[in-house]
Amino acid sequence: MAEKNEYGDPKYYSNRELSWVLFDHRVLNEARDKSIPLFDRLKFLSITASNLDEFFMIRVASLQDMVNAKYDKPDIAGLKPAEQLQLLDKAIHQLVELQYSTYNRSLVPQLRQNGLQVIRQHEELTEEEADFVDRYFEENVYPVLTPMALDSSRPFPLIRNKTLNIAALVQKKGGKGEMDFATVQVPGVLSRIVQLPSHDKSRKLILLEEIIERNMHKLFLNYDIVCAHPYRIMRNADLTIEEDEAADLLKEIERVLKKRQWGEAIRLEVEAGMDKRLLKILREELHIDESYIYKIDGPLDLTVLMKMYGLEGFDHLKSPGYTPQPVPQLPAGCDLFDEIRKGDILLHHPYQTFEPVVDFIRQAARDPEVLAIKQTLYRVSGNSPIIKALALAAENGKQVTVLVELKARFDEENNIVWAKMLEKAGCHVIYGLVGLKTHCKITLVVRREEDGIRRYVHLGTGNYNDATAKLYTDIGLLTCSEAIGEDATAVFNMLSGYSEPLVWNRLSLAPLWLKDKFLYLIDRERRYALEGRPARIIAKMNSLCDKDIIEALYKAGSVGVKIDLIVRGICCLKVGIRGVSENITVRSIVGNFLEHSRIFYFENDERYEIYCGSADWMPRNLERRVEILFPIDNPDLKEKLVHILDCLLEDNEKAAVLQPDGSYEHPDRRGKAPFRAQAEFCREAVEYAGKLTSDAGPATRTFTPETHR
Amino acid sequence: MGSRIFAAIDVGSFELTMKIFEFTGKGNMKEVDCIQKRLDLGTDTYFNGKISNEKMDELCRALSEFSEKMHAYKADSCKAYGTSAIRETENTTIVQDQIAQRTGIRVDVLSNSEQRFLGYKAIASRGENFSRIIEEKTAIVDIGGGSIQLSLFDNDTLVSTQNLRLGVLRLQEYINRFSARSSQVEMLIDEMAMAQLSIYKKLYLKDREIQNLIVMDDYISPLMVRRHGVKATLETADYTAVRHLIRNGSTTQAALAMGIPEEKVPLVFISALLVERIAELMGARHIWAPGAALCDGIAYEYAEKAGLLQGEHDFEKDIVACATSISKRYMGSKKRSETLENITTTIFDSMKKIHGLGRRERLYLRLASILHDCGKYISMVNIGENSYQIIMATEIIGLSHLEREIVANVARFNYSRFVYYGQQSGSSGLDQDSFLIVAKLTAILRLATGLDRSHKQKLTGLKASLKDNRLVLTVDTQEDITLEKGFFAMKEAFFKEVFSVEPVLKQHKNL
Repeated sequence: MAEKNEYGDPKYYSNRELSWVLFDHRVLNEARDKSIPLFDRLKFLSITASNLDEFFMIRVASLQDMVNAKYDKPDIAGLKPAEQLQLLDKAIHQLVELQYSTYNRSLVPQLRQNGLQVIRQHEELTEEEADFVDRYFEENVYPVLTPMALDSSRPFPLIRNKTLNIAALVQKKGGKGEMDFATVQVPGVLSRIVQLPSHDKSRKLILLEEIIERNMHKLFLNYDIVCAHPYRIMRNADLTIEEDEAADLLKEIERVLKKRQWGEAIRLEVEAGMDKRLLKILREELHIDESYIYKIDGPLDLTVLMKMYGLEGFDHLKSPGYTPQPVPQLPAGCDLFDEIRKGDILLHHPYQTFEPVVDFIRQAARDPEVLAIKQTLYRVSGNSPIIKALALAAENGKQVTVLVELKARFDEENNIVWAKMLEKAGCHVIYGLVGLKTHCKITLVVRREEDGIRRYVHLGTGNYNDATAKLYTDIGLLTCSEAIGEDATAVFNMLSGYSEPLVWNRLSLAPLWLKDKFLYLIDRERRYALEGRPARIIAKMNSLCDKDIIEALYKAGSVGVKIDLIVRGICCLKVGIRGVSENITVRSIVGNFLEHSRIFYFENDERYEIYCGSADWMPRNLERRVEILFPIDNPDLKEKLVHILDCLLEDNEKAAVLQPDGSYEHPDRRGKAPFRAQAEFCREAVEYAGKLTSDAGPATRTFTPETHR
Repeated sequence: MGSRIFAAIDVGSFELTMKIFEFTGKGNMKEVDCIQKRLDLGTDTYFNGKISNEKMDELCRALSEFSEKMHAYKADSCKAYGTSAIRETENTTIVQDQIAQRTGIRVDVLSNSEQRFLGYKAIASRGENFSRIIEEKTAIVDIGGGSIQLSLFDNDTLVSTQNLRLGVLRLQEYINRFSARSSQVEMLIDEMAMAQLSIYKKLYLKDREIQNLIVMDDYISPLMVRRHGVKATLETADYTAVRHLIRNGSTTQAALAMGIPEEKVPLVFISALLVERIAELMGARHIWAPGAALCDGIAYEYAEKAGLLQGEHDFEKDIVACATSISKRYMGSKKRSETLENITTTIFDSMKKIHGLGRRERLYLRLASILHDCGKYISMVNIGENSYQIIMATEIIGLSHLEREIVANVARFNYSRFVYYGQQSGSSGLDQDSFLIVAKLTAILRLATGLDRSHKQKLTGLKASLKDNRLVLTVDTQEDITLEKGFFAMKEAFFKEVFSVEPVLKQHKNL
């Protein structure tokens, strides 16, 4: 067994960035899995690309900031920022190579076999097709292009972050060999995929940049085009400081930020085989290091594959869509408040529909007995029915308080628009808290009933977003428990700037007490294990990288607590270390739905406790965000959650298990029937919905008149 | 709708608090919401005499938010009280008016004794724990920003209460002024506090052994409740532990460890030290911090008045007991007090139709009867004026300043020449209504003292009946009541003047 203070040794921890790259690899594995429908594989490949973009803008940018600020405090695994960048450089290049080999060697040929040809280069077009694209260019593309040529009188233009561009070397017609640089942005307003006319069943498509490249000469009439190639840059343009970092770092970066050249380029992607002279100009003008240049063998920016996934006519190459099932306790048109009063209701999305949550707010908005509605909103969908319901409630004279988190990454602008709308409708809108991101998902409805005030609360692990609720796995709880209602009131009072209540009943809040609570729960298992009593922890989350928590897990595991972790993304904990983590397993599930729920099980000497929440075991969640952990008390619902965890631990198709060497492997399936948790949950939800509705008794031949309430 | 919603607002010297209560049938009182905002009005008032404009703006902004929330709950009524920061500011009425104009909330000012009384009701609102604890010898220490209040209980009744200017904010401000080093803070507070506390011990505590100490404050109690729960019995050591935690680390560390804002740390420190010293002084073994706040008391009072709640504890008894112990301190005769109380209330009760006064005024009369001659302790000649001065200088818990003045005046005019409304000299703050109360109660008390002139309690079996403008008082005694009859005749003029009723004394010799 390791010495008491030894668990903090960096050798017991993995670097979070490298662990993230492994996660993207796992998603990429889905794109490489031949048992998965072809178009789904396109989708997964697209996801790896958009993931990587985000990773660059946030994490790589942040590491570069640290290097620039000469901040060299090592991370949890003992690596300094510069070392991390070096390792990442290698890892990301490998990842990108694998992305494109998957695309070129596996997906493109298979698409062709299935009747969809992607024309890689415009030179491959037939004459008829070439005519078509040239006409398409003149009619649709040309009018929206802004070509820019660079010579001594004009400075290098500003190339916008994440845009796709075409660079060219041009030479004055009849000139004496001197070459100029020219560039044009591939317009984002046009579809990047252009379908070509076809005479038979097979379909062909070409990417917009190829069409532009082919017609470059029409943009620079007095020049000859020497060469033209697409390129794309990513900038360190994220002026808000990453909340993930330590406070001392934030101060340091803040100082440097002011000096930092705005929008320094941190990644340049170019078409493999780009003319060396052209590449040299780009490299010099963008001041970018060789290691940040990615020479791409295929189309740049693979997020375009999501568009390809959306092409009609290929449904047979996609997994059949799943319709979220109704929740049997909440039949359509029921009075939600009546139903919640009968007992707590657990919602499992996306297997079960998100509709009750929307209805909860809709009904509250119309209900004359409702006094107030309060809600936190982190990311909502474009045309959110929740926002509409809240606005309606305010118009109906309810007190509506909404905390809108403006700091939600990439969503800022979107959020401001509808926050203003809510304000107009008369809602009291709180635009986040200073220094903290509000990440908890909670709704409180205060209702004045016959026997007094009753509070209805919805708590969730996922955002109030009806669109993502069809794709993300999340848990929700509808309850009118007095204790939770009191706490919920206190949560909103605190979010409105008032002091903390004297006592919390059931909820634990970050950044106040949540971390302590987790540490306490983990340590309690450790103590039970020492006493020789049953001790076990199952925890499911998106990421695990909080050092204190990992240390506590090592301590608990080393004395015999059986710990099973289901961590979809980053995991800084290492398994299989002798005397430290032999009792700990980590598995990651990557499937059609994005695993998003956070569920925590603690054996507690056979009186097990189970919690759900909005927080991962990450420092940012536990220390710099407002998060809520809520217990599930109803025995039936607890069992449901245990069943969910059991299924996830049993999954041998979509799970990957962390190995002592840090890699992830599929679990050993020998002698076991293939089992896929997500598929099982879909099946169960359908069955459950059907069963309970048929339990409702035989259909009667009478009508039930609607009465006024 | 079966329930009633009430909003209680406490404009404290350090924090603003609003609690929303719900009263449902069967005398249920439930707190449904509580919001609290840090706003240090005390420092402005205690040391500059006035609340600054910035603080006024902040105060009004917060109260407007409170008002919104109250409306969201569709509160049936609301009561807002200001304590010492509002009371002691030089321009109280202007402040009150501004708040009312800007927020629609009328903030009434509580006198210290009313405030403490509400605090004490707040503790009582915590129910059975309270009644159980005060069966033993118990003291309540109510630690405020400007001062602290020490109250003693005997056999579940309040017996004495004393205000000491040892409020947490006040002490903190002194420390700031002395620019004391942090190592000296403890000693300085100790010295300032013990100087007053030892006098208190000599005067009130004497050899009394106190078993339980109930602590009420907004500084350390919330922390103790959070750590130990509402019902836990604590010891001095628990408070020492908190103080050591603060002393041995930086303010930031302590704030983090205790989960409180940094600016509150020094106040928690002072509060902990005060509780320790007081507990030691009294020899209290058990400490109870129920986390009760003024708002609870405000709601309790509202509920009592509105008949929503039947309190277990008899608060009137406490007020009377308090007066009795004051009387005892000034060598008043218990027997005589009882006789007078008996006579005055008999007369009062028989004349309800005439005087139109209520239960509260009856209480004034009882108090005046008990305290009517406490001035003789100073001089036998000028009893009325001296009694007035003593009563005005002594705190009677549960009475507002105005009420105390009524009682003091009744005691005064019982001996001194009656001064009519409009003839009063400058300092008296009695309005017309209060003046009438004083006149009526004085008339009754004068008649009663006349009936017991010999101080021999001859008139035990007194009966009163009102018939056609005549109040017939029948005494059932064998004794010679010539003296009483004589004095009775002398006092009846004033009685007649006030009530237009002629008092008649009859002796019924039951041979």
